Amino acid sequence: MKSFKRKTSVNAEISTASLPDIVFLLLFFFMVTAVIRTDENLVKYEVPKAKHINKAEMKTLIRELQVGLPANTRLGTEPLISDGSHYLKINELVQWVNQEKATLPEAYKDQMIIVLKADEAVKMGLIADIQQELRKSNARKVLYRSKENI
Amino acid sequence: MKITRKLSQEPVNTGSMADIAFLLLIFFLVSTTILQEKGLMITLPPDQEKQPVMPVNDRNLFKISINSKNQFLIQDEPRGDLAGLKADVKMFILNPAAANDLAESPKKAIVSLKSNRGTDYAAFIAVLDEVKGAYYDIYGERVGLSGDQYRHLDLDNPRQLALYEKGKEGIPMNISIAEPNK
Repeated sequence: MKSFKRKTSVNAEISTASLPDIVFLLLFFFMVTAVIRTDENLVKYEVPKAKHINKAEMKTLIRELQVGLPANTRLGTEPLISDGSHYLKINELVQWVNQEKATLPEAYKDQMIIVLKADEAVKMGLIADIQQELRKSNARKVLYRSKENI
Repeated sequence: MKITRKLSQEPVNTGSMADIAFLLLIFFLVSTTILQEKGLMITLPPDQEKQPVMPVNDRNLFKISINSKNQFLIQDEPRGDLAGLKADVKMFILNPAAANDLAESPKKAIVSLKSNRGTDYAAFIAVLDEVKGAYYDIYGERVGLSGDQYRHLDLDNPRQLALYEKGKEGIPMNISIAEPNK
């Protein structure tokens, strides 16, 4: 029978040489998946909660509208509509939709998804007016942005 | 004086590399938001003027109204909260006992959602959420899943897509959002 010799002193330090690589990998993941916020929100909104929500499938088809009280309190206390960089009046929505549609490829023009990020305290009158304008401009896919209620 | 120059290449210390990368990582973690577009999707009807108005049999219409004080009127019956709405909607659409006052067939069933101009958006979303939940439960039941499982089916996977298509086949999600009254 063979006799096994056991080493008494084993160098058991974990190599940290690959740690920077792991961290860089994480870093690249976050850099790729995340979008840097370029501008401050023009309106304040807190989206309502809902349970039965879906994800929008195609991210390139998404255009966003925000509805809420203006962040700048000097602009009054009535809810306003914003596309992220400008305030829009209700009668400017049709033009805005057409402008956004022009940026999409021909085949996808009718499939544009409008993500409506509206504050939960906004009244339905304004929301209905927006819906009416969207129907007029044939942008009929609407996603009511809501938080997951668990 | 004699200056001795080291000619042998000394390795750069890479121990602090992880710290630098961590710092960058934390910066990106804090300054960015992951794009998450989740919510309740509906398709609005085409523009009113171009669309012929079709008569709908009254029994095929499940009427939900919300007034400006966020009170609910469901099938002409005032309600304080939305408890049981999902079960009612499911019962209405499927009509398992073939009752005379519920929908003729799931295909013909329409859930009508009418709000007031003064209704809170949150109340409207709460009702829409329940109605969509009822439809997902029905779709799920037809393929042996729960409503939540059905909603989370991965449409890129052909087998799950088949289940998804089978679940909703023949039962369109007829949710009508009526013009609010003043």
